[in-house]
Amino acid sequence: MGVRPGLTMDCKDATEAIGALLDRTLTPGDQAALDDHMRTCASCRVLAADLRRMHESARSLPRVKPPETLWPRIASALDAEIRSSPRRWFGVSPWMLAAAATLLLAVGGTLLLLRPSTMFRPSRPAATATQTAGGGAAGAELAQSVESELREAEQHYERAIAGLEQIAKAEQGTLDPQVAATLQKNLAVIDQAIRESRAALQSQPASELAQESLFEALRRKVGLLQETIGLINEMRKGNQAGTARIIQNLNKS
Amino acid sequence: MTRRLADGQRSDGFATSKEQSARLDAELITRCRAGDLGAFEEIYRLHSGRLYNVVARMVGANEADDLVQDTFLQAYRKLGGFRGDSTLATWLYRLAVNLCLDRLRSGEAKVSRKAESFEEDEPAPAPRRTTELVVTRLDLERGLEALPPSYRAAFVLHDVEGFEHREVAAILGIAEGSSKSLVHKARLRLRTLLTR
Repeated sequence: MGVRPGLTMDCKDATEAIGALLDRTLTPGDQAALDDHMRTCASCRVLAADLRRMHESARSLPRVKPPETLWPRIASALDAEIRSSPRRWFGVSPWMLAAAATLLLAVGGTLLLLRPSTMFRPSRPAATATQTAGGGAAGAELAQSVESELREAEQHYERAIAGLEQIAKAEQGTLDPQVAATLQKNLAVIDQAIRESRAALQSQPASELAQESLFEALRRKVGLLQETIGLINEMRKGNQAGTARIIQNLNKS
Repeated sequence: MTRRLADGQRSDGFATSKEQSARLDAELITRCRAGDLGAFEEIYRLHSGRLYNVVARMVGANEADDLVQDTFLQAYRKLGGFRGDSTLATWLYRLAVNLCLDRLRSGEAKVSRKAESFEEDEPAPAPRRTTELVVTRLDLERGLEALPPSYRAAFVLHDVEGFEHREVAAILGIAEGSSKSLVHKARLRLRTLLTR
């Protein structure tokens, strides 16, 4: 509003001031000018009373609550969506992809790395590059680029694993000690496989088998950690059937 | 009676600090991204009460179930891209209100394009009366239904639900001044409708 001292407020300014009064943002100066105006303007007095009454009525409208059946409906639709989702990639759920994408963006990486075409066929160009290593700088560059992409893809898994491990560790107290021991044992086996695959890759960087073996081990670790979190959730919900099913799977793996 | 909720205050009346809310939101989002549907259910439990009320006041109780369901399904799909530029609550309300506006606009061909957008227009002239206005709940609900979608959204969020103008602005993706202006015009339009 900002009516200058000494000047009177007209009906247009008064209308705005009444709005600000309801919002409790009217300055003391404008409040005084509005009071002056309303002393002589019946129309604005009525407007102020009407708007105040409407404001109070709006605030006291009864709350409309969601029905109890709404969450089960949403959960069922989500479940159907998750089951039908074709976007499964290295066994990683869309959630994991999203988390990985966020992490990659956060560290300035590129989503280009996440293209399955690059991820599933990394060794062919590398092998070609090795064959032509003596003859072409372009081939060597390509090999370097593929290796760099593989390294970054591996980091993507590692970040996803770190996030999942953090959640699993924070919630591990919920688990039965025997189940926790089985999980630790399975994780140790997978970690060993990861170490061995890395060692193999170091001695044979272009080996398709070594690359696939490393990503397979990383994929298994992501899967196991996801199962752990799933198990904790089922236990929290008191879903005995769901808990038993996951434990059975964990013992098989 | 007041239902004004400050930042960090939950719809169930349980007050938490901004930091606690932000920490809880971050934890739930991390768990959701790891595929934890239980965490998504917690998000639903925390926000659905107040959000449902907004949606029901925007589109009517008959359509509220479908639109709230669509809101949470969309939230599930998009949560991976949530960067935390706003609070999780603001982000959810933005999804819900946008769905409501789409629904209302698709069903209101008669509303002029200017009133449908968040553009400025002249306030409705104040009726010339000297008697007291009587506002019943039913009249108010009917009046709300007759408001153009953008006016209705701003009025419901601010005057019915008690959001601050800066929160309304964040939800609607407009400037704070535009929120003030929309709410003000909505009040004047509603008054005209109630005095007919």
